[in-house]
Amino acid sequence: MKIDFTQLTQFLQRFKAKPYKIYPIFTPHTGKIIEFKVKEGDEVKGPSGKWLEKPGTPLFVLEREKNPKLIRAHYDGLAQNVRIELLNRFVEAGELVLEIRHPLTQDEIISEILLNALLVIRAPETARYILSSELGKRLEKEGLGKVIVKEGDELLIMTFMKRETPIFLKEKGQYIIYQIYFKPFELVQAGEPLLGLCPVEDLPHLEKIIQRIKDEWSL
Amino acid sequence: MKDKVLIANRGEIAIRIMEACEALGLEYVAVYTKEDEESLHVRLAKKKYRISDYRDMNDLLAVADEEKCTAIHPGYGFLSENYRFARRVVKRERPLIWIGPSWEAIRDLGNKLYMKKVAYQLGIPVIPGSIEPIYNEIEAELKAEEILELAQEEGFQEVSFLVKAVAGGGGMGIEEVKNLEEIRPVFRKLRAYAKRLFGDEGIIIEIKIPVFQHLEVQILGSKHDEYVHFGTRNCTIQSPFRQKRIELAPGFCENISYEFDPKKVEEEIIQHSLNLAKHFNYDSVGTFEWLVTPEGKYYLMEVNTRIQVENEISAKISFIKNKPVNLLKEQIKVAFGEKLGYSQRDIEFRGISLEFRLIAEDTKRGFIPLSGVITKFDYRDYPWLTIRTHVPKDKPYTIPTQFDPNLALAIIYGENFNDLMEKSKRFLNEVVIEGKTFKGEPLATNINFLKEKLSDVYKFLAV
Repeated sequence: MKIDFTQLTQFLQRFKAKPYKIYPIFTPHTGKIIEFKVKEGDEVKGPSGKWLEKPGTPLFVLEREKNPKLIRAHYDGLAQNVRIELLNRFVEAGELVLEIRHPLTQDEIISEILLNALLVIRAPETARYILSSELGKRLEKEGLGKVIVKEGDELLIMTFMKRETPIFLKEKGQYIIYQIYFKPFELVQAGEPLLGLCPVEDLPHLEKIIQRIKDEWSL
Repeated sequence: MKDKVLIANRGEIAIRIMEACEALGLEYVAVYTKEDEESLHVRLAKKKYRISDYRDMNDLLAVADEEKCTAIHPGYGFLSENYRFARRVVKRERPLIWIGPSWEAIRDLGNKLYMKKVAYQLGIPVIPGSIEPIYNEIEAELKAEEILELAQEEGFQEVSFLVKAVAGGGGMGIEEVKNLEEIRPVFRKLRAYAKRLFGDEGIIIEIKIPVFQHLEVQILGSKHDEYVHFGTRNCTIQSPFRQKRIELAPGFCENISYEFDPKKVEEEIIQHSLNLAKHFNYDSVGTFEWLVTPEGKYYLMEVNTRIQVENEISAKISFIKNKPVNLLKEQIKVAFGEKLGYSQRDIEFRGISLEFRLIAEDTKRGFIPLSGVITKFDYRDYPWLTIRTHVPKDKPYTIPTQFDPNLALAIIYGENFNDLMEKSKRFLNEVVIEGKTFKGEPLATNINFLKEKLSDVYKFLAV
């Protein structure tokens, strides 16, 4: 296990000093921004509900080919740097429209800290990824934190430059799939985390760390 | 109103379309995605828009409307052979000119099975195999057995099968099967692949022609019932994944001895191609792909209803009334309804031309595509050499990973075969492509592969 309690204290202090993250909101495609639904400093909410079935707060309306599209918040937080000057203008795809200042929750902090504690499988290339079909099925059945994989197991499939390449576990030993950091078929930048694995024997230690974060981080 | 073309493509073909528009005095607008910001086509375009995806029809049309474009050039790949997009472009409330064949021709010729059926009815030789799509594995096995019998009757020895996705192409969704037991697993695999990639599960099974040359005929039709050809090309040298790597024009070579009369075969495949083009009122540039066996049998494989990557080698050896040819310009002119202004008699062929596709791929390790940064791309200029690339020469270029790792096309013109080979060798020895992968290893290219394969040009190859 790569993390000890002194390091953990440092991480926690860092998050306490800056307990938020800024998410830029870009236009998904071209079109005309015909309405802003938020103004500077408004509180916005990301999707909620058990299945995230309740959509997030409307942010703005982008119209293209006569179809208005409501762009909603994907994170909780405050709207800031709203570029009101874009109203009624034709915008390109990927234009920055506003930012959401998102306060970090306990779970998110745990997830960030786990990135340093777990064996992280990172994206070898900027590409699209899916779980290997066997692993996907097992995870669906057994759930995170339960499925054990070993050296040579097929973990992921990378779709890259029109080819599909499997990604295998190269480490010796047995590991538990503890975290999934990507969404299927979403573009992942090279070096970004895909999976977080925990050696089977380290699981009790890891759970102690998580307990410690939960104790120290009460919101 | 002045015409304005939306260039709905990227990379070198976008640049070639820009040049053609400029030469014809047309305005144009380019598009690009975030990954392509460093590409030369973005730097060279005076007017450009960032879009979400080259395949996003709504984005393309929104930009076309915003810029008041009157026509769309789809280039090759992406939406170029998507008849639904072509139809939408011409049938919308503010219609645009589609710089390509009619959407009906794209639909009918792009459907390999339908095309095969029509060709068969017109008496054009097609590859022995299924004419209807197969959706079920038991049926697939039965069909394979039937084909096997037929092939043995026709005298084929050691028959193997090609299992193909109806909607595939360009080496995608095709697999070879050597014995009947493998038909079912391969069928299942391909069907799943085809469904995911093309949204169409149809599969066909054909005989694999073991030894052949891949020839293609370059056709041009106008809206005024005029049809001409710009000769043939030979695209036999491909990667193991059936992607073209070296192309030559013309398709047969005077220095090679054939077991058949190459002039006669060439004339026949050209005539068949023209007949099929006329049948579909084909009104743009198009390529008719043929397999030719060492005995001089030939089979129509497929029709590409767009400008081809390798179009320029045909242009290099063709002269209209003694003037050089640019097939992109011809394609744009006929799309705007112009008459050709010349006939087949005015087209002369002189010399021989070759195209190398320079690609970042590891030919020693299964031709895996590579991404990384190109730090040096250098070659000497010659009057006989044309380089088509979107890789800037003056600064490092990061190869985006969403697209093919194609770096450049090198088009070489020779007076005759020996002259062409000498120049081609010289180019391959002089060109320098250096770079690093993201892991810090030197970036491999296919230059050595091209050098090795140069001795195979115009040969019949067993693939």
